Amino acid sequence: MRTFTIVAILLFIPFSHLLAQQTASVSGYVSDSQNGETLIAANVALEGTKKGTSTNTSGYYTITNVQPGAYNLVVSYIGYQSYSQKVSLEPGENLRLDIELTPQGVQMDEIVVESEVDKEEQRNIGVAQVQTELIKEVPSVFEADVFRSVQLLPGVKAASDFSSGLYIRGGSPDQTLILLDRTTVYNPTHFFGFFSTFNPDAVKDVRLYKGGYPAEYGGRLGSVLTIYNKDGNRNEFSGSASVGLLASRFSIEGPFKKGSYMLAVRRSTLEPLLAALRQSQDNIPESFYFLDLNGKVNVDADPNNKFSLAFYSGIDNLLFPFSEDASIKLNYGNQTVSSTWTHIFSNKVFSHFTVTGSRYFNFPSFNIATTPFERSNNIYDFSVKGDIEYHPNDRHSVSTGIWSGIMTLKVQDTFDGEDTFSSRIQSNYLSVYAQDEWAITNQLDLTAGLRLNGFSEGNYWKLAPRLSLEYRPIEEIRLQAAYGRYNQFLTLISNEAFSGFDTWLTTDNGVQPAYGDQYVLGAKTQPWEGYGIDMELYYRTMEDLFDLNPFIPDVAGLDYAELFRFGTGYAYGVELKFERQIGRLTGFMGYTFSVSRRKYPGFNTPVGKPQNARFFPPKYDRKHDVNLVMNYRLSERWKASAVFNYSTGQAYTKPLGRTLAFDYPTESQPLDVLVIGKVNASRLPAYHRLDVGFTRSGSFFGLGDAQWQFQLINVYSRRNIWFYNYDFDENPIEREDVTMLPILPNISYTVNF
Amino acid sequence: MITHLKTISIAFVCVILMGCELYPQDEFEEDYVVESYLVANRTLPQVRISKTVPVDQEYNYRDAAVNDANVEVRLMDQSGEEVEQQFQYGRQSDGVYVTNSPHKVLPQREYQLHVTFSNSDKEVLGTTFVPGDFRSENMSGDTVPYQDPEQVTINTTKSFYPGRQSFFIFTVEALEPEEEDLTPFYADQVDNDAEVNDFYSNSSGIINEENYEENEDGTLTLRLPWLAVAFYEENYIIASAIDDNMYDFYRTQDVQGGGSTLPPGELQNVIYNLEGGIGVFGSMASDTVRVFFSRNQ
Repeated sequence: MRTFTIVAILLFIPFSHLLAQQTASVSGYVSDSQNGETLIAANVALEGTKKGTSTNTSGYYTITNVQPGAYNLVVSYIGYQSYSQKVSLEPGENLRLDIELTPQGVQMDEIVVESEVDKEEQRNIGVAQVQTELIKEVPSVFEADVFRSVQLLPGVKAASDFSSGLYIRGGSPDQTLILLDRTTVYNPTHFFGFFSTFNPDAVKDVRLYKGGYPAEYGGRLGSVLTIYNKDGNRNEFSGSASVGLLASRFSIEGPFKKGSYMLAVRRSTLEPLLAALRQSQDNIPESFYFLDLNGKVNVDADPNNKFSLAFYSGIDNLLFPFSEDASIKLNYGNQTVSSTWTHIFSNKVFSHFTVTGSRYFNFPSFNIATTPFERSNNIYDFSVKGDIEYHPNDRHSVSTGIWSGIMTLKVQDTFDGEDTFSSRIQSNYLSVYAQDEWAITNQLDLTAGLRLNGFSEGNYWKLAPRLSLEYRPIEEIRLQAAYGRYNQFLTLISNEAFSGFDTWLTTDNGVQPAYGDQYVLGAKTQPWEGYGIDMELYYRTMEDLFDLNPFIPDVAGLDYAELFRFGTGYAYGVELKFERQIGRLTGFMGYTFSVSRRKYPGFNTPVGKPQNARFFPPKYDRKHDVNLVMNYRLSERWKASAVFNYSTGQAYTKPLGRTLAFDYPTESQPLDVLVIGKVNASRLPAYHRLDVGFTRSGSFFGLGDAQWQFQLINVYSRRNIWFYNYDFDENPIEREDVTMLPILPNISYTVNF
Repeated sequence: MITHLKTISIAFVCVILMGCELYPQDEFEEDYVVESYLVANRTLPQVRISKTVPVDQEYNYRDAAVNDANVEVRLMDQSGEEVEQQFQYGRQSDGVYVTNSPHKVLPQREYQLHVTFSNSDKEVLGTTFVPGDFRSENMSGDTVPYQDPEQVTINTTKSFYPGRQSFFIFTVEALEPEEEDLTPFYADQVDNDAEVNDFYSNSSGIINEENYEENEDGTLTLRLPWLAVAFYEENYIIASAIDDNMYDFYRTQDVQGGGSTLPPGELQNVIYNLEGGIGVFGSMASDTVRVFFSRNQ
């Protein structure tokens, strides 16, 4: 109750300032001078004052309540030259000033990259931005990948070399909300989890809210990853074509009379390799490819109105006759569409309204000895959302929004021509939030928000307060704290090794939504220009977790609640990041200490004591994790990059004893039984891997810029272990290492025109 | 909350500075293993008793067998409160105990297992409720061409189990399993290192009663998937309705072999439903029909 009172007071405070003396304001968009792309989270300030802000997700800024007078307005953004312009503000004036920043490489003849690292927004608590250049430059397995780059951040872990899934601050992938142009994406993978669906050519901004995220977002216990695709070049036609070992990419973008467009297509190109392998080997898929298409059209109707239409469509296809009289077919993919109207009501009120549609589907089918098994799994999610920002004065920034939609999840299984499972869940959802960012003093900021989440399936309404505080004792040091309550109405049935069958389920009567609290403390400093040191501590709880019970062999006739195991969990950790963004050598080193635990009644119990469930670490729990990411500009043409990762081995369950069930009546052979103690109480050997890459820039017959990329993954061919397999044909049982990627070369060629 | 944070703070310092292990691995402890499966309307089955062995040691049943056990099976009365009849067992061979009683297992009744040891204070206790008996009938005739569009159809009466639907396992058992009689899919498996013996008894896994259509006369109709047929010619089709103990053991042992939603490497213990030991003291009801699968022309 006290929390509500505080939030209510905070929300009404801004209006008490409406009668203040006549002041001026300045607002506008910040964009790239070369292609007109708006820049998210660019810093805008009036030099010599404490007035400053950063651009929102549409690239828009507002500085209000400015005393009339002459100022120097400065704008900075990583990778761009700092911008400075003198402005003179009259009493009551609302100056509209759209600003274009010039990319650093464009006018610089020098090799050394000097960058002003004043990343206010990026250094908010729990927030990390991944530069799109980093995604393309770091060595990658076959194909540049957004999620693989996100996995390099402190607090984010990968389950294996084969998985692009994001395991953030002790949470599983389904605890991260993934938004592409404000639209939820339900299975963001290609090749069954190996890659993410996001084409690096199409992406403009990648931002991860690792924890303690603000009231603007909700619906997941852990984190939010927002991805915005490019608007398209507003100044000239341009494009790129890239050929790699696994996939090729092609993109174009350009202006039209009142706007811009962008189209990017990517397709795997494994067919020649598969055809060659089929000549000499059995069990090679007949068909195996992925294809995705990203597009966006923007209309800048007038200075205060913009419209955009964005879409994504991706599919993975596999046809694999894996044995005589047996084959598997699998199609899965996502389709999203969103249309946004961005409207500036006044210099103090900014808004955007979006209509979204998202579809996820998978259609696996097996046919063994003329016995077919087929699944049709579809999610349709249609929503409308609106967000309004109000800047009543320079002390407050109020935002509010609504997100409402209808979600349909349909699963239909048939076995041998008969329906064996059928589920159609349709749920309406509604979220509303209000938030105030209050600059209490020049050194102290408070952000308080409240979010109401509703889900019709089960008729659940949940309130989620959010609070964050930042104190800057001196200019170079930021001390931060955050608290938030988070709810989740969905759970993902998946397997770490294979995402092609992913199925989402929802809460319902008897299946409570999961909830959790997050507490985050942060300290961030810039000891020297171009350097940053960040530290964050977090502790989070997870209650009413609902996962598919792995022991259920057949769901027919079971009540919905009987499908699940209900559990609890917690996670805590420390993340450190040291960053250098200046000079020839740039990059960062991240260290994470983390602990994550889960407990489910009836699981991880001592023999004979089924009531005594114990907490256990999930497989992806890693106590220590170090990442080193370095880029070095060797010359005007050559760049080198390296990524090194060291982490504690993953948790696994060590079998302690064995026995056999000799007489189980329906079995022809004895059943092997492993006797285990604590679940996941042992550790695989430590994981470490070094990847290096070199990029050579040049020209493609004078028609455009070109880049060769030469990369070597796992340079010293460390055979990191994924898991152990047990061979019961041997006596004693033999443990076999199932290893991950060996040393792999990668080469790609890109032409920009 | 404060206590929780204090614990975490101590854990932080402990782990970072001293490298403490927050969740240490436990060690092997020897357990008694019992195994016995009552079948409705058949005589009392043997009880097999052994011990677990460390996973890195060679498993030799003779060494693992327990020969000093005192085994008793008890039939409980209808209320399940009082012992109605006791059956003493004697050792027949290594770890195997049998009874001379001609008693036929009664469906829909509770039995208890009581095992003590001459050289140990431990005792192993188990309870099973025997599923209701049922009858199966082959509706497709004695001979069916393999992969004929008209699949083998079996009608069964319903079994009974308190508080839940019936859980079935169907088994197709070849009478004379010869390699040359393997159906194409299984022949290919044998070509790829599998053994012919792996398939002579082919089990469906657990199938819930609700999968089947209920006929007007209360019987259930099931169509046998061709996947279940590993051998041409003479086969038994055995339908078994299993109790909770067999159900829990089978479904959890299966997950240890992988393929569920658990990540690779995460093993969970099997559910045993026994006190003082591990294994299965289970029961089932079953019925058998006979079919000849002719080669398709």
